[in-house]
Amino acid sequence: MIGKRAAMAVLTPGLVHTPVTPFTREGDIAFEIYGRLLDFHLASGAQSLALPMHIGESVSLTDRERRDVLEFAIARTKGRVPVIAHVSESGSANAAALAGHAQEAGAAGVIATTPYYWTPPHAMLIEHFVAIGAATELPFFVCNAPDEMQGTRITAGLCRELIAKVPNFAGVVDLGLDWQFMIQLMTEAPRLRPGFQLISGTELMVSAAAIGATGMFSSLAAMAPRMVRELYELCRAEKLFEARPVQEQLAALRQAMKGGGVAGFKAAMRVMGRDCGEPRAPVLALEAVSLRQLVSALDAIASLRSEPRGW
Amino acid sequence: MQSPVTPFKDDFSLDLPTFERLLDFHVRAGATAISWPHHKGESLSLTIAERKRFAEAAVRVVDGRIPVTIHVSALAVGDTMELARHAQKIGADGILAITPYFWTPSLAAIEAYFVRLCGTIDLPVISYNSPSYLAGVEITGELMSRLIERLPNFIGVKEASFNSEKFLEISRAALAVRPHFALLTGIEYLLPSIPLGGVGSYSAAGSICPNLCSQLYDACMQGDWPRARELQYKVSWLWLLFRDQYPSSLKGGMVMMGRPVGPTRPPLPTASKERQSHVRSELERLGIFDSEPHGW
Repeated sequence: MIGKRAAMAVLTPGLVHTPVTPFTREGDIAFEIYGRLLDFHLASGAQSLALPMHIGESVSLTDRERRDVLEFAIARTKGRVPVIAHVSESGSANAAALAGHAQEAGAAGVIATTPYYWTPPHAMLIEHFVAIGAATELPFFVCNAPDEMQGTRITAGLCRELIAKVPNFAGVVDLGLDWQFMIQLMTEAPRLRPGFQLISGTELMVSAAAIGATGMFSSLAAMAPRMVRELYELCRAEKLFEARPVQEQLAALRQAMKGGGVAGFKAAMRVMGRDCGEPRAPVLALEAVSLRQLVSALDAIASLRSEPRGW
Repeated sequence: MQSPVTPFKDDFSLDLPTFERLLDFHVRAGATAISWPHHKGESLSLTIAERKRFAEAAVRVVDGRIPVTIHVSALAVGDTMELARHAQKIGADGILAITPYFWTPSLAAIEAYFVRLCGTIDLPVISYNSPSYLAGVEITGELMSRLIERLPNFIGVKEASFNSEKFLEISRAALAVRPHFALLTGIEYLLPSIPLGGVGSYSAAGSICPNLCSQLYDACMQGDWPRARELQYKVSWLWLLFRDQYPSSLKGGMVMMGRPVGPTRPPLPTASKERQSHVRSELERLGIFDSEPHGW
């Protein structure tokens, strides 16, 4: 999957699983369980890994831990799949340092979203992404996640500018789900940069695939890897009408998981027999009532019964 | 489905002969239905009397060749009800109504509104969901399924969120209750919606490029995704061209296509000569003049 093209390596990540970060009761990273979790993802159809994403509580890991987690994952997977490093930070230099580390550690690509906290205007976004791109030769994916980033969005105009300024800008991972943006992006960007990729940042892939998305980032693959794989393959084969039933099942699962955040996600992991502990502070574990609601919501999703339990 | 613009004379009064010609053009150019006056038809800049007068003209000119629905949304709910009753009286085939303007109504208020509207007439009612233009006010999936269960003439939605999650929320909820509930997109976002159960759309660019619109619809229904993608990119590029101060630039473009429909009523501007020539060069670049009808 990785080859040389001009100065930039090409990475077509395909189906990308985004694992959680397991913690011990004391709140340390549970590397033994993390290893088991990564093995599970690889055995369940991951074509790449991206970590630690927000679902992996990247913002609750120290700088040292983020580097440790990446190095551990690269060592554990031994080149069987590409590992993409998530390097989002508030400060451009901090993000750039993580991007530089990712390359040294042997990652296959980097991904970053907009800077935290600053509600950045256009020029600030450009500067931030230019700094990250310049810190590495790896393919660099920009993540559009307006719901997670206080409404800050990636626009097609921003991407046009980034293509001119960032030679390793490889594509957009989209969690915004906005058809107007995705279509405009795919009308313009691949003409300016052949091979430019739109990657669905969620399991809602059918519309994105119709528009031209060639990959998918999935956190729900930790719960329902079979459905995720089926959806991904139908989308890649352009069997979009056939993909609708499994798309609707995954939309139902996503909706059931929506209120609980990472605490709900980790509770659901336990329900599936893959206990990765509780989230780190300041996120609280799910309280009893919400937990019961989540468990009954998951019970109601029939297709979840054919998904693997345990490791 | 086509939603014609509203032609005006230079003094901004209604231009009935041009409206009649435009309606006939849409029918001949392959429209599967006519719906008037959408926001593109400057509904909110017309008086209630003007809306009734042109609604009558639309029903008369189309003359049963294809269905005609009337958009009845008005600032005052009383006017909306009046327009709905009028649509029924003149023999329209259905009505379209957006969630109420301005008040950012609660879900309970939206529900009460559609219950009242659907009870006022026997005609089929298509709802119109446009959260990005209405401060986030929207019909949720849950409310949609409740309305379908309560109201036999609540038959479809014009969905203008243009968002995968919103569309799936509504399609899953609605089609589970009524499998033939009509999921229509606000403008021609057919490529991302048809695989998820969408059955059609209203059109933004249909008065410029009716052939392109029909080709896109056919390619999507046939599941010819590579071709649909190419056509969708083109149609959506036109939307970017027309979106700003819609329908001002669209009316400017119609001049270039040999179908002039006069100015746009304030507060919207009328497309300047410079804007018109920008539109012309984009239409040229996309090959629209070669593939689409010129004149009436």
